[in-house]
Amino acid sequence: MEYLGQCAVDSILLGGLYTLMVIGLSLSFGITRVINFAHGEAIMLGAYGAYWAMTLWNVDPLIAMPVLMLLGGIAGYVLFRILFTRILSAPAANQILLTFGLGLILQNVALTLWSGDQRSANPAYVFSSFQLGDSTVAVGRLIGCAIAVLLVGGLFVWLKHAEAGRASRALAENGEAAVLMGINVNQMYAIAFGISTALGVATGTIMSSLSAVTPFMGFNMLVKSFAIIVLGGLGNVMGSVAGAFLLAFAETAVSYYVPNGDGWAEAVAFAVLFFVLILRPRGIAGQAVME
Amino acid sequence: MRMQASSLLRAIPALLGLALIASAFVDMPQVNDWMFQISMLIIVSVSWNLMASAGLVSLGHAAFWGVGSYASMIAATRLGLPLVGGVVLAVAVGALLGCVLALATGRLRGIFFAICTLALAEGLRVTTVMLPDQTGGASGLYLPQALQVPRTALFVAGAVAAVICAAASVWLARTSFSYACRAMRNNESAAQMLGLDPLRYRMAILAISAGMVAGAGAISTWYGGYLDPDVAFSMHITIESQIASILGGMYTVAGPIVGAIAIVALSEATRLGLGAHEGASQLAYGVVLVLGILFMPRGLYGLWCDLWAGRIAGAGKADDTATEMAR
Repeated sequence: MEYLGQCAVDSILLGGLYTLMVIGLSLSFGITRVINFAHGEAIMLGAYGAYWAMTLWNVDPLIAMPVLMLLGGIAGYVLFRILFTRILSAPAANQILLTFGLGLILQNVALTLWSGDQRSANPAYVFSSFQLGDSTVAVGRLIGCAIAVLLVGGLFVWLKHAEAGRASRALAENGEAAVLMGINVNQMYAIAFGISTALGVATGTIMSSLSAVTPFMGFNMLVKSFAIIVLGGLGNVMGSVAGAFLLAFAETAVSYYVPNGDGWAEAVAFAVLFFVLILRPRGIAGQAVME
Repeated sequence: MRMQASSLLRAIPALLGLALIASAFVDMPQVNDWMFQISMLIIVSVSWNLMASAGLVSLGHAAFWGVGSYASMIAATRLGLPLVGGVVLAVAVGALLGCVLALATGRLRGIFFAICTLALAEGLRVTTVMLPDQTGGASGLYLPQALQVPRTALFVAGAVAAVICAAASVWLARTSFSYACRAMRNNESAAQMLGLDPLRYRMAILAISAGMVAGAGAISTWYGGYLDPDVAFSMHITIESQIASILGGMYTVAGPIVGAIAIVALSEATRLGLGAHEGASQLAYGVVLVLGILFMPRGLYGLWCDLWAGRIAGAGKADDTATEMAR
């Protein structure tokens, strides 16, 4: 087993990013019970935001991030108020198709405005790296992972201690009881959805310097997020974190040790998704999520 | 008088079907192309709607389409299998994939099932890219010159396939099968309690749906003459299949067919109106999807039924057939 250290370093850095990518989706589903197929587009728009901030005003993606997150959060809140409140009690098919359609619109608006060219925001530090033992650590990925840890940590603190965070957990646990306790459901749902969108945007700003920015980048990440969520148990935020690292390890291991691994790594998420659904449909955490 | 009117009404779909097949023999390339598009779209949306009627929302119709396309194309390039054989093979392989999917997804419902189909399509796409020796990989496969058939034959094949699929959905809607589907959509556990075996129904539904789409994929591939993973497993197929059903009216027999015609008209209109811009038709689809779900969840067919029922009720007489079917 060559490159074991390098493989471990890479998977941990990737796992951090995946955690951030998936946590927003997991949060909004856990609380509102509407799965957002347009979450990938929040990531995509965040990436474009960071790219344009870098290109037009020479603003570093990390500095642009808070502003973009705020904008994304507001957009998510408003969108939820306008669109999603109408389909909260609709059949799953309608919810899936509405959010899917929304994603389609956003993708193609981006395609129309900014073309399908691959772009990338490249602040100087992205290309530097340092040695840790006999493994190389890419600074860009390390920063991305650190920010992911920071944001996810912040989210947990919010869920645990803030009034709104506790209210949203109460909603996730027992919606009807939460209503009886005087929690404004629609308001809380919209806030949770806004935060979820903001986290998606944050993922995008980090991805803008790590991978190609295209109108369709979000879709691929959405499918991976689903794999992670299913792996961890739908609506289980802690499970999602575990799932993110598991997928990161699996993908990295495949790309290092399997012939043509880079290409096959793309299929790992789908294989994982399929096998988990067949063998253990409730996810590794074993939470009851079947509906 | 009324009986004559209703039997005339019943004859209309059959006449439309015949007209569709007959149109293939007319020598007007643009019309032929439209009819071919409509035929393909009718097949995928009838299939999508059949699954949706049983509560199985598919985001992976591209998987069935792609598998059918590849089955026929690989058989053509390797074994020299002609069109008809290729379509039969595609339907068989598609149905098999449907059965496997039904077994693999077990009792998954709603979102879980949808995600699973999405993963199936994407996973198959990556697999075909990664196995160039078997599938031609990213550089694709070309239909051998010797096997090419006249375009008219393809138009006829497409139209006949569409009529068969539409007829199958009409027939299924008249059997107890449709009630079983509706029961499963509303509450699968309760349906099971009533003595229905959900797994068996799921296998049947998925085999039929996937077989239909795989056959359409094979015919369409013959029309294009070229296949690569992005063409075969294109998200476009998935989107078109669901959007036609929604626009026309989910869970109804006529909905997908009405929707298919409306969608081809819409995409031609956007193409003519906005030029061949790559994002325009997809953007229009997205808008239709969102507005349709929000304001017209029962689709064009539902709208028509409402108007019809309103007119009849206004005359002091309730015709139940139209509204009954819409439910």
